[in-house]
Amino acid sequence: MSLNTSLNTAVQSLNAASGALQITNNNIANANTAGYTRKVAVLQEGASTSDGNISQGGGVVLEGYQSVRNELLQTQIQQETQAQSGANAQLSSLQAIEPTFTTSTTDIGTDMSALFSSISSLSTNSSSSTSQQAVLTAGQNLATAFNTASSTLTTQQASLNTQVTQDVSSINQLTKQIAALNPQLTQLKATGQDGGTVQDQMDQLVLKLSALTSVSVTQTDNGETITTGKGTPLVMGSQSFALQTANGSEGMQHVLDQNGSDITSSLTSGDLGGTIQTRDTTIPGILTQLDTLANQFATAINAAQAKGYDQNGDAGQNLFTVSSTVSGSASSIKMTVTDPALIASSSDGTSGSNGNLINLTAVQTTKLASGKTPGDAYASLVYQVGSQTSSVKAESTATTASLLQLNDQFSSVSGVSIDEESANLISYQQSYEAAARVVSTIQSLFSITMSMGTAAAA
Amino acid sequence: MIPDVQYAMQQSQQNLADAVLQVSTSLRVNKLSDDPSASANMVTSLASSATVDQYTKNVSSVLPRMQTADSAISSIVTSLNSAITLGTSGASSTMLTANRQAIATQVSSVLTSVISEANTSYQGVYVFGGTASTTPPFVAASTTYTSSQGSTANPLASSTTLTAGSVTTISDATTGKSMTFKAATGDTIATLQAAITSAASAGTLSAGTTATINASGKLSIGTNSTAAGIAVSSNEAALGSMTAVANTQVANAYAYVGNSSVNDVQVGDSLTVASNITGSQLLTSGTNVIGALTGLITALQSGTSADIGTSISDVSSALTAVGQQRIPFDNGISQLDSQETFLSSETVTLSTAQTALVGVNLADAATNLSNAELANSAVLAAAAKVLPETLLKYLQ
Repeated sequence: MSLNTSLNTAVQSLNAASGALQITNNNIANANTAGYTRKVAVLQEGASTSDGNISQGGGVVLEGYQSVRNELLQTQIQQETQAQSGANAQLSSLQAIEPTFTTSTTDIGTDMSALFSSISSLSTNSSSSTSQQAVLTAGQNLATAFNTASSTLTTQQASLNTQVTQDVSSINQLTKQIAALNPQLTQLKATGQDGGTVQDQMDQLVLKLSALTSVSVTQTDNGETITTGKGTPLVMGSQSFALQTANGSEGMQHVLDQNGSDITSSLTSGDLGGTIQTRDTTIPGILTQLDTLANQFATAINAAQAKGYDQNGDAGQNLFTVSSTVSGSASSIKMTVTDPALIASSSDGTSGSNGNLINLTAVQTTKLASGKTPGDAYASLVYQVGSQTSSVKAESTATTASLLQLNDQFSSVSGVSIDEESANLISYQQSYEAAARVVSTIQSLFSITMSMGTAAAA
Repeated sequence: MIPDVQYAMQQSQQNLADAVLQVSTSLRVNKLSDDPSASANMVTSLASSATVDQYTKNVSSVLPRMQTADSAISSIVTSLNSAITLGTSGASSTMLTANRQAIATQVSSVLTSVISEANTSYQGVYVFGGTASTTPPFVAASTTYTSSQGSTANPLASSTTLTAGSVTTISDATTGKSMTFKAATGDTIATLQAAITSAASAGTLSAGTTATINASGKLSIGTNSTAAGIAVSSNEAALGSMTAVANTQVANAYAYVGNSSVNDVQVGDSLTVASNITGSQLLTSGTNVIGALTGLITALQSGTSADIGTSISDVSSALTAVGQQRIPFDNGISQLDSQETFLSSETVTLSTAQTALVGVNLADAATNLSNAELANSAVLAAAAKVLPETLLKYLQ
C-alpha cells in the first residue's frame, strides 16, 4: 500500500468529516426554522482496491445528504391541521355570537319576561297611563333585542362571506407557489438527489394550504398533485388551477373551480370549510329559529290584542309589525303602537276593564305554532348556541392536543435536536482531527522517505 | 419539547383565568358554552322568577285597594245598623209626627254617608264602579233628563237615525237596575223609545218611564213620577249629552251609573282574585240597599207605623245581603295575604335553584383558584428547570 493511497484515504476522511460538519452546522443553524427537516450525511465506504493479494479499504465517501422525513406523519399533520383550522374558524364565529344570548344581562328572554310583567302590572290598574307606557317601552325593548340579535348574526355572516373570498385568494397564491416548486423538485429527484430545502418549502406551503382547505396530496412523476374537496385539482405538475368566487342568488360568495363548477358544498375542512359551514349552515339555523320565534310571538300578541278594546273603546290593533314571511322577522319586528291608550286591555269596551289583558299574558304560557311556549322556544335556541359552541370548542381542543402530539413525533423524527447535533459535532470534529493527524503522519513519512539515501538521512 | 412546554403553560394560564373569573363573578357558568343545559334551564327559571316577582307586586298593588273597599263596606254596615236603630225608634205608635220627621232627617244623613262610602276612591279609581271606575258610581237621581241636541227649529223625531254602536244607559234609583241600549244599524229614536217602554214593563225601570220628544224638540226621558228618579248617560251623537232637568232631583234617591264588570288580577300561576266588587252587586241588584234606605226615609216622613216596620225589614234584609256579598270579597283579601307569604317562599326557592344551576360555592371557587395558582407556578418552574438543559451546557 502506497503512502499516496493512504493520503487519499485520509483526505477522503477529511472531506467526509468536513461535509458532515457542514450539514451538522446547517442543522444547528436551522434548529428553529419552521418546516426544516434535519439532514444527515450519507457516508459510504469507498470501493476497495487490491495490491497484489492484499485488499485495501477504499476509505469513506460522502455520498450526499439525506433529509429525515416521515411521509405518513406529514400526511397526518396535514389532516389534523385541516380539522383544527376548521374547528377554530367555527369557534371564532360562535364565540362572537354567544354573548347575544347570555342569560345574565338584557337579552330576548329577559325582555320577553319584562313585557309580560308589564302587562300583568297593567292589569291592576288598566287605565293607568304610566302602566300603559311601561308596556309600550317593554315591547319596544323586546323588538330591539330581536333586531340586535338578528343584526349580530347577519353581520357575522357577512364577515364570514368576506373571509371566503380572502381564503380563496390565499389558496390561489399558495397553489401558484407550489406549482413553481414542482419542476425543481422533479429535477432533483430525477438526478437521484434528496428533495432537501425545496421539499421543505413545498411541505410548508402544503401545510399552509391545509390550514385553509382540505387537501389530498399525491406523489407523481411530475411532483406533487394536490386536489381539494371531491377531487378538484389545485396543482398538477407545474400548473396551478385557481379557484374563483362568485355571488350566489342568496348573496353569498360561492367557490368555483377553474371550469366554473360550484364546489362550495364539497369544502368541509380547513378555515375555508369551517367558514362555509358556519356561514351557510350554523348561522342560518340559528337565524331561522330566531325569526320563527319573532314571527310567531308577534302574531300571537297581535291576535290577543285583536280580542279586546283600547281605552277609546275601539277594537285592538296590532302591537307589533313583522314581516309576512318568517325569514327576516327578527330584523323587521317593530312596535307599531306609540299611543299607550291603544293597548287593548278592555274586554267590554270600558276604559277600566282589564278583561283582555289575561289574553295577552296567556301568550307567555300558550304554545306557539312551533309547539313550544315563547320561553321554551328561546331556551331551545340558547341551548343550541351553547351546545354548538361547546362541541366545536371540544373539537378545537382535541385537535390541538392531537396536533401537538403529532408535531412532537415529527420533531423527534425530523426535528433538530441540539443535543444530538452537539454530539455529532464532537464526533465529526474528532473524525476530522483524526484524519488530519493521519495526513500529518503521512506527511512525516513522506519527508522521511524523501530524505532516504541522503547525507541528512545518514 | 418547547411546544409541549408552551402548550402546558397556555393550558395552566387558561385554567387560572377561569378560576379567577369564577371567584370574581361567583358563577360557574359565565357563558352558554360553559354549560348549555344549565344555561337553557336558567332561561326558564329566570322567567319564572320574573313572573313570581310580578305576582308579588300585583298583590301589593291590589291589596290596599281591596282593603280600602272593605273598610268602606264596614262603614256601610255600621250605617245600616244605625238606620235600623233609628227606624225602630221612629216606628213607635206614640211617636209624634215632628219627631218622626227629625228621625227621617237623621236616616237621610245615614243615606248620604252610605252614598259617600259607595263613592270611595283609591288613587283616583272608584272602587265600587265596576270597570267604569273614573267617575262616581252613585249619582243623585232626577225624574227627567233631556238631550242637548234638538231644538224648536230643528226638533228630533222618532225617525231620527241613531249611530250603530252608540250606547244609552238608564239607571233607576227605585228598582236599582239599569237598562243599556246599544244601537244597531238602522235603529232610530223610535227603537230607543220602544226599548224603554219594554224595560218599564219588565220592571227594569220604574213603571211609566218613557222617552218622548218635548216641546223644545229635545228627547226627554222621564219616570213620570215625582218619587222615582233615574240617571241617564249616552254617547249617541244624535242626542248629544243627557242632562238632568233642573229641579227634578228626587230627594234621597240615588242611581248606580257604574257597570257590573269585575276585574280579575292574576297573583299566581293558577290563582286570580276579583279585585273589585261592583256597586250594583253590593248595593242595588238583588236587594236594593239604597232603595231600602230611601223607603225608610219616606215611611218616616209620611207613613204609618206599619209602613215604617215594613221599611225596617227591608233595611234588615239589605244589611244581611251586604254581609253575604262581603264574604267572597273578604275571602279574596285573605287569599292575597296567604299568597304574599307563598310568593315570598317561592322567590327564595327559585333563587336557590338558580344558584345551584349556574352559581359556584365561593369556598370551592377559592380552593380552585388556589390550586390553579399552584399548578401554574409548578408548570412555570418546570419549564424554567427543563428548557435550559442541553448538552452544550455540559460541554466545557
